[in-house]
Amino acid sequence: MNRRVWRVVLAALCLALIALTGCSSSPTIVTITATSGSDQTMLIRAAFSAPLVATVMTNGKPTIGTTVTFTAPGTGASAVFADGKNTDTETTDMNGVATSTAVTANTAGGSYMVTATVSGATAPASFSLTNTAATFYSFNLNGLEVVNETKTGYNYYALAGSVAVDAKGNVVAGEQDYNDGNGYLSPQPSGDAISGGTLTVDATGQGTLTLKTNNTNLGPPGSPGTEALGVQFVNTNHALIIQFDGSATSSGSMDVQTLPAAVSGNYAFTVSGVDTTYFPRAFGGIFSVTGGAVGGTADVNDHGTVSLANAISGAVTSEDPFGRGQITGISINGETLALNYYIVGGEVIRIIDVDGSGSGLGSAFGQGANASGASSASLGNSVFGVEGNSWATPYAGAGMLVPNSGAGTFTGIADEDEQGTFVAGSAISGTYTIASNGYGNLAITNAGLQHLTSFGLYLTDPTLNLLDPNNASGGGGALLVDLDAGYEGGTGMVIPQTDTATTSLTGNYAFGAQEYSGAGVLDGWEFDYIGQGSIAAGALTGTGLVSDPFGSIAAVGENTAVPFSGTATPDAANVGRYTMASLDVTIVSGSPVPLAMAIYQASGGYLFWVDEDALTLSLGTLQQIPSGSRAGLHARSKQTVQRKN
Amino acid sequence: MKRNLLTKPSGMIACLTSGLLFAIVVVAPLISQSADESRVYYDVNREVTLSGTVSGVLSRPMPGMMWGAHLLVTTTSGTLDASLGRWGLMGKGGFSVSIGQQVELTGVMKTMNSKEVLVVRTVKVNGTVYTIRDEQGTPVSPQARELIGQKGDGL
Repeated sequence: MNRRVWRVVLAALCLALIALTGCSSSPTIVTITATSGSDQTMLIRAAFSAPLVATVMTNGKPTIGTTVTFTAPGTGASAVFADGKNTDTETTDMNGVATSTAVTANTAGGSYMVTATVSGATAPASFSLTNTAATFYSFNLNGLEVVNETKTGYNYYALAGSVAVDAKGNVVAGEQDYNDGNGYLSPQPSGDAISGGTLTVDATGQGTLTLKTNNTNLGPPGSPGTEALGVQFVNTNHALIIQFDGSATSSGSMDVQTLPAAVSGNYAFTVSGVDTTYFPRAFGGIFSVTGGAVGGTADVNDHGTVSLANAISGAVTSEDPFGRGQITGISINGETLALNYYIVGGEVIRIIDVDGSGSGLGSAFGQGANASGASSASLGNSVFGVEGNSWATPYAGAGMLVPNSGAGTFTGIADEDEQGTFVAGSAISGTYTIASNGYGNLAITNAGLQHLTSFGLYLTDPTLNLLDPNNASGGGGALLVDLDAGYEGGTGMVIPQTDTATTSLTGNYAFGAQEYSGAGVLDGWEFDYIGQGSIAAGALTGTGLVSDPFGSIAAVGENTAVPFSGTATPDAANVGRYTMASLDVTIVSGSPVPLAMAIYQASGGYLFWVDEDALTLSLGTLQQIPSGSRAGLHARSKQTVQRKN
Repeated sequence: MKRNLLTKPSGMIACLTSGLLFAIVVVAPLISQSADESRVYYDVNREVTLSGTVSGVLSRPMPGMMWGAHLLVTTTSGTLDASLGRWGLMGKGGFSVSIGQQVELTGVMKTMNSKEVLVVRTVKVNGTVYTIRDEQGTPVSPQARELIGQKGDGL
């Protein structure tokens, strides 16, 4: 072989080696690109629908087994990965693809970039994400259902949920549970999804909240799946609500949620509804949650069986992005309940019974210092309100108590209406006990409140506001369960009486009540109202929404801009009590419906009122709208023209 | 309780006799119940059973009456207001009755708004007994009737 041939062979070998070893004189180029997952928008605290996917190439070919790091911003609007951290490290697959774990928006609204980096790449891949800011509200109400009137007639129902509303009043998303205990139950464990709707209120804080759900069994026949609630804001964090679409009528409340918040610690609670045989039922007591385990004590009034101090136990699941979770394992009268909860804040949760048979609604409030240090002295001068649920023997009462903690006795004054038979300004007296864990009872021993004689009494955290849980000023109080046979389904609350001055009853107030009627046009027996107005020298003038699907006081339907007026006359002999001889509710112009009210003042900010008529009765509240805050009541809502009072 | 005035002497004697019987059977338990009436809404131990002729059917109460449906029943002692509660005449398992029919009522006499009313637990019409309330006086809803029937439970 001559030299020329050797040179050719050597050159060929050299080229072959270069090709095989990748040796080259040109540089290695590593790139990382965003393959998918960019340009997503999601509600704060919710998981984005798709993960982030990046592809790594080296000199145009997939890079296998290399490490990619996804990094979201450390502050402000951002997201976290499955482990709760803002970084996530993944390895590329045989296609050079790295996929992040699930991505969840944090609590801040806004747009931001998440980067994906790989060693050797000169530039990261970028993913554009947006968190939609929203305010989360917990809502709950129960009452009487109009739809689903089967051969057995109208049903009791309970509804609780969480809804996210953006700054423009658009409902962004939500979840809810609906249960009438007789065929209409939201699918479990998912509940109903709320996908849209609007919150529209005027400058007085009055308006409607529409909720578009995926449950077509709910809402009026003309709008299956869409519910409408009447709302009356007391302040930007708290509203009184009623169902306001003709599919049902009910009363409840809506409060801004502080999330996330774990269900943990000690609670006092009550739940009221119907049992598995559709008799009214209520139970209440205290429980503690430690590491997800529930243990406690409950009193039950169910279908003629009043049983006290029953041990309860169960478990709590962690909450989802809407503050919703499950309480499992709790057994009442031999029935193991399925309960869901919605967090308002760390110390306040709403509870709904989601059994297929039976239903109920209630609340649990933290006990704070009263979980271990309670005594008879923990109950001071107080105002109370109690009412049967919509399936119970119709009754409602309110009054005020002056305890003698040393003797374990109390005296007081109260009003109460039982199916049209009422006592007004009745002297009451009796005994009460409170154990160190806040579990107690109260007995009216002088027959001053007709058939109401026995209550379970469960003390809450003295720092809480039971009516307005986001209000830091409250003074706590206690929850009540009526333990009188024949009065199953009655619950209530006791709140401190701190200011009985008549001069404090002035300013702007939100008000509402759950009314029962003995004389509806149809066979139903409930109507509900909310409203707002001003009180000056005891005279209330306002406007409201009246839900009257059974024609209890007017033509069947939902009534807006209804004038309310009446004058509260102080009871000179019982300071803190007022009578309103005629609360005129004028649905039909020129034909006011007069309701006789008794009012008990806890403070200038909070009052209970009861309707005590022969053919109507109710319990409700007057809650003062903070001075100067009206302008803010329609924040986070679509706005309508302000009405004149 | 409203009473019809009788004008004939024989009728008066009959009235006095039956009135005495009524006082023994009905009023005595009512009086003895008074002390406890405010403590217990419905005391099954104080039940009475009365028979009479239906003279009125009210699906809704008149002012001053206990809420719910009522029967006005003419007994040997006069006209009786019988409360059937919210669901007595309503829905599946409810009953229908006409003026002139004979009924047998079991319940507890109560005084409400200064008027006497029989809080009815059961009604017997045409040989069939209908349960209006349970033994605690809680009205039995159509839903409860159906569910209890399905479960085979009793009240």
